[in-house]
Amino acid sequence: MARCWRNRFRDAWCDMSNRVSNEIKGNTKKTGRGPKAIIFACRWCALIGADGAGKNRVQLPLNFRVIPVECAARVEPDSIIRAFSYGIDGVGVLGCHLGGCRYHNANHRALKRLDLLRKLLDTVGIGSGRLLTSFGTAHEYHQFAAILNEFFQGLREFPPIDEWARAQMTDAGKG
Amino acid sequence: MNLGFIKTTCPYCGTGCGLVLQVRDGKVVGNYPDRDHPVSKGSLCIKGWNAHEFIHHPERLTSPLLRKGKTFYPIPWDEAIDLVVERLGRTAEKYGGDAIGGLCSAKCTNEENYLFQKFIRAGFQTNNVEHCARLCHSPTVAGMSQALGSGAMTNSIKDLEGAKCILIMGSNAAETFPIIMGDIYKAKDRGARLIVVDPRATEVAKNAHIHLQIRSGTDIPLICGMMRHIIEHSLEDKEFITKRTEGFDTLNEYLTGWTVERAAEECGLDGDMIREAAETYATAAEASIVFCMGITQHACGTANVLAICDLALLCGHVGKEHSGICPLRGQCNVQGACDMGGLPDVYPGYQRASDPGIRKKFEDAWGRELSDRPGLAVTETIGSGGGDIRSVYIMGENPVMSDPNRNKTLEFLKQLDFLVVQDIFPTETTQFAHLILPGACFAEKTGTFTNTERRIQLLRKAVDPPGEARDDFTILCMLGKAMGLGFDYTDPSEVMDEIASLTPLYGGVHFYRLGHGGLQWPCPTDDHPGTPFLHKGEFTRGKGLFVVPEYTPPVESPDHDYPYIFITGRMFCHYHTGTMTRRSPSLNRETDKPFVEINPVDAARIGIRGGDAVRVSTRRDAIVTTARITERVSRGSIFAAFHFFEAPADALTIDALDPVSKVPEFKVCAANLRKEESDGLS
Amino acid sequence: MNIREDARRAARKVLEQGKAQGVLGLREAGDGVSPHLFEDPGDIDSLVVEPKWLLAKLATGILKDLPDDYRLAVMCRGCDERAIVELIKRNQLDGAKIHVIGLACSQEQARACLCTRPYPSEVAAGDVVEGVDPFQDERARTFLEGDQRERMIRWATELKRCVKCYGCRNSCPICVCVPCKLEDDLWVGRGEIPADLISFHLIRAFHLSDTCVACGACQDACPENIPLMLLQISMRAFLMQEYGYEAGTDRERRSPMLSDLTKEPSPGYEIPGWVDSLKDSV
Repeated sequence: MARCWRNRFRDAWCDMSNRVSNEIKGNTKKTGRGPKAIIFACRWCALIGADGAGKNRVQLPLNFRVIPVECAARVEPDSIIRAFSYGIDGVGVLGCHLGGCRYHNANHRALKRLDLLRKLLDTVGIGSGRLLTSFGTAHEYHQFAAILNEFFQGLREFPPIDEWARAQMTDAGKG
Repeated sequence: MNLGFIKTTCPYCGTGCGLVLQVRDGKVVGNYPDRDHPVSKGSLCIKGWNAHEFIHHPERLTSPLLRKGKTFYPIPWDEAIDLVVERLGRTAEKYGGDAIGGLCSAKCTNEENYLFQKFIRAGFQTNNVEHCARLCHSPTVAGMSQALGSGAMTNSIKDLEGAKCILIMGSNAAETFPIIMGDIYKAKDRGARLIVVDPRATEVAKNAHIHLQIRSGTDIPLICGMMRHIIEHSLEDKEFITKRTEGFDTLNEYLTGWTVERAAEECGLDGDMIREAAETYATAAEASIVFCMGITQHACGTANVLAICDLALLCGHVGKEHSGICPLRGQCNVQGACDMGGLPDVYPGYQRASDPGIRKKFEDAWGRELSDRPGLAVTETIGSGGGDIRSVYIMGENPVMSDPNRNKTLEFLKQLDFLVVQDIFPTETTQFAHLILPGACFAEKTGTFTNTERRIQLLRKAVDPPGEARDDFTILCMLGKAMGLGFDYTDPSEVMDEIASLTPLYGGVHFYRLGHGGLQWPCPTDDHPGTPFLHKGEFTRGKGLFVVPEYTPPVESPDHDYPYIFITGRMFCHYHTGTMTRRSPSLNRETDKPFVEINPVDAARIGIRGGDAVRVSTRRDAIVTTARITERVSRGSIFAAFHFFEAPADALTIDALDPVSKVPEFKVCAANLRKEESDGLS
Repeated sequence: MNIREDARRAARKVLEQGKAQGVLGLREAGDGVSPHLFEDPGDIDSLVVEPKWLLAKLATGILKDLPDDYRLAVMCRGCDERAIVELIKRNQLDGAKIHVIGLACSQEQARACLCTRPYPSEVAAGDVVEGVDPFQDERARTFLEGDQRERMIRWATELKRCVKCYGCRNSCPICVCVPCKLEDDLWVGRGEIPADLISFHLIRAFHLSDTCVACGACQDACPENIPLMLLQISMRAFLMQEYGYEAGTDRERRSPMLSDLTKEPSPGYEIPGWVDSLKDSV
C-alpha cells in the first residue's frame, strides 16, 4: 500500500527541518530573561518587514530569531511543536495576506492548520497565545515591530514553557 | 488462508502480559496486545509490543555446534545428544555426581525447567541445579519463607489498584514493569499515597508523593526508624500482632536502638520525612509494599526483605485483598523456575531436598536414587573458584554477562572439562562452550510460565523454530531418553500433569484448566479455583514471624581511589543481557549505546559533558561508555544499565554475597570515573 | 434482539452469499477471546462481539497479506467503520476489498468511550443508542475547560506517566506511516521516559487531528491510563463547528485542511484579506 504522502517529500523536508532544529537549538542558549520566540517569516512579505525593522532600528523585543521561509505554508506544525519542546516560549508564522499568496492560496491552508493547532495548544494548557499568526499584517517594518511587541507582551504573561517541557513539576517532596 | 492469530504470553518481564501473534505462512508478522487478558487488559510496554522482532533474526542458532579449536562446526542432533550424555557421564563417573552443575532458565517454561532439574537430579544424583534467581530474588525467597512461610508475592497485581498507600522500595517499576505501574497509578488516581524509596530520582519517584532518596544500602535503618516511630505513636496493629504473629518482643527490643534521628543520619534523610512515610503507611486502611532489586541485590538482601516483612506484619498489612508484600519477579518465568525446583535445596514446590520423606517420594516417582547432599549456589561456587564442579550444562542463561565480577566467571568457565550451553542466540557465554545446542524461543513452544503474582499461564506455539533448532522440551526429552531416564513424554501437558501429581502448590494445574486467564497457585486440587491472595486468616507457616534484620552497610563503600557509588540496573527499552532486545530494531533504536548517568555537579567538576566517552573503573574491571548528565543520580553516585555487551556494567560489580541467599551486591560498589581520551575507545 | 446472534447471522450470511471470502471478527475458544479470520460458515458459532476490540487496525494489517481478489468482511463498530472510511480516503485501504458488518455499541460502551456516534452507517447487530457529549463528562471537562494553568498542570501530570510504549501510535487505526516521525530523533528524543511531553504527544495528536475517529484505541492501549482521547476532542469539535466536518462519516469529502478557504470555508465565514491572531479571536 502507498506510504504516507508526507514521507515522499521527506528528503526535502529533512533539510528544512534540520535547519529549523538547529536554529531552535541555537536559540535556546540565548541569555537574558524574558520569553524566547522563533518567528517564521514568509520571504515575499513579512521578511521584508523584518529586515526593515532591523535596518530602521525600531524598538523590538529581545530574544527572538527570524527564520525565512518560502511561504507560511512551508512551516510544519511539527516544527512549532518541536520549538515548544525545546523550551521556546512562543512561535510566530507570518505570511502574505489571504488573497496574495504566490503559491496558489497555500497560506489559506496554513491558516486553517494553525487555527487547528491552536485548539490543541489550548487543550493541553500550553496556550494558543503562544502561537502568533499574521497574514498580511506584518509587511511594513513598523507593522512587524508592533506585532512582535504585542506578541511578546502577551508572552510575558505566560509561565516559562520550560516548566511544561522538562516535566519539572513533581509532586514529590525531596528526600 | 494460512493466516492466524495465536494468543500467548510475553517473554520479557514477570508481569506476563497477553500477546496476540499474527502468523502468516509460518512466520510471525505482527503482534498485538490481548484485550482479553486479566492482567494486561490490552496494554503492553515497548518491549511487549516488539516481542516478536527477534524471532526470525538471522543470528538465531539453527544447529548443534561443536567447538574444534576456536571455531564451531555444525553436528547432527544424535551426535550432540550422545556427546552430552557421554561427557557428563564421564565427569560423574570420575569425580562423582556433584561435579556436575546445571543452570536452568527463567526464560524457559515450567515443563522445561522441571525436566531439566529432573535430568540433573535423577541423572547424576546431585542437587547442583541453579538459575538466575540466585542473582535477583533469592533473598525474597529466603526472607519471606522465613517470616511468612511462603516466598512469593502475597497478592495479585490488580489488588494494588485498591490500596490506599503503596510503598515502593528499590523498584523502578515505570521502566521495568510498566503495566504494573499503571495499576499503581490507578490507585493514585483513587487517592492512594505513593511513597518511593530509591537513591535515584526515577520517574516513579517523581510521580510519587514522598520520595525518600536514601543513601545506597540503608534500607534497614530506614525501615527500623519507621517501625520505631510507628510503635512510639501506637500506630501498630496490636490485635494483628497478638493474634497472628510471634517474635514481636525481640524485634521491639532491637528497635530501641533505632531512633528516627539515627535512621535519618544513616540514610541521609530528613527525620520528618521518615515520620511522614511511617505514619502514612501505618494508618492507611489498606497498604502494600512493592519491592525489587534495590532491596534484594545487597549483601544484606535477606535482612532487607525481613525488614519489609516486619514492617508489614507490624501494621497488619498482609493477608488482605489490597494489603500485601509484593516482590516483583523480574523474568517471565523466574517464579516458575523457582517453583519447579530449579534451586539447589528444594524440589518442585519448595519441598525440601533435605527431608528424607520428600526425597523418597521423588525417588519413587522418578525411579532413581537421589542425592541427600544440598547443592551449591552458583554465585558461591564461582566466587570460590569453582568448587568441585567440572562440567556444566547451561540452558537459557548468560552468566558471563549477568554474573558479578566477570573475571571470576570467565576463569570458572574456562577451566571446565565440558560446558554445554543451550540458547537461541550466540551469547557471551556460548563463546566458551564446548557444545552449543539451539533452543526455541517463546513463540516456538507450548508450555507454561508463572508470572510474579503466581499466575500460571499458557504459551502457545505459533511458528516452528528455525533450521535444526528444537524446543527445549524436545531437547531435554532426547537427553533424558539417552540417559535411560524414560522421559517419553509426547507433549508438555503430560509434564505438567506429572508436576501436579508431585507438587501440592500445583496440584490442580493441568493445561485444560489454563486456557483462559491461567491459575494462581496454590491450586492444590483439580477443582480449586486458584488463590488471588495469600495468608488470609493464617500464614503459610501459621503465625507471621518477626525477625530482627541485622544491618550491614554495603561491603565496598566509596573511598579515595574509588570515590563514587556505582549502581547497576535496567532501562525501559532493553532487557537484561540484551540477547533479545539488542536484536530488536524498535528497541535498539531507542538506545543503542551504553551510557552512565552522572550528576551534573560531579560532571562539571571533572569536566565531562553529555555524550563524552568516559571510563568507569572498579577494583574488578573497567568499561568505556558514554556520559549522560542527569539529576536522576545524586552527587557521588553513578548509574549504568547492564544491557550492553560493549560496556558490560555487571563486569565491574563486586561479588560480595549475602550470607543467607548468596545474592551478589549488584547495587553498590565503589567506582572511579574519568573522561576517556578520544582514541581510547575500545 | 441479541447482538451476538445477530452478528453471527450477518457474518454467516456474508460468507454464504459470497460477499466476502473471510470475516475478521472475534472468536471465543478455550483460550478466551481473540481475533480470528472466519472463512468457514461453520466456525461462526464461536464468533463473539465482546470485549471492545478495534478490528480496523488488524484489517489493515492482514489485507496486505491476502491475495488481490480477496474480499474481507470486518465486524465494525461505529469507530471501526469511520477508521476504515478515513483509510480508504487516504489510499491506505482499497475500499473494494472491504465489506463492513456493522455493530452498534451499547449505552455503557458509549459512555465509557465518551462516544458521540456509537453506531456505524448500517447496523447489522445491536441496538442504536444515542451518543454521549464528552463536554458533559465531569472528568473530561477538567482536561478540556477551566483555568488554563490548572489544566496545564493536569495534562503535564498525566503525560509525565508516559512509558514510551508507543501503544497509542501502534493501536491507532489511522497511524500507518512507515517510517513514523515519532521514531525520528530529530523530532522526539530517544532513550528516556517519559516520551517528550510536548513533541511526542502533540506531534502524534496533531498528525491525527483531522483524521481521528475518536475510537479510543490509544487510551485503551495506554498502560498508564493517560486520557489520550481527550487530546483530540477540542480539535474535532472545532472541525465540526467551523467546517461541519467529522472524520470518517463521509466517504467522499476529504479533510478541510487540504483545501483553500475559497473552496471550503466555514459556513457564513467571510474570507478576510488581512488577518492576524492578535486582532481576531480564534
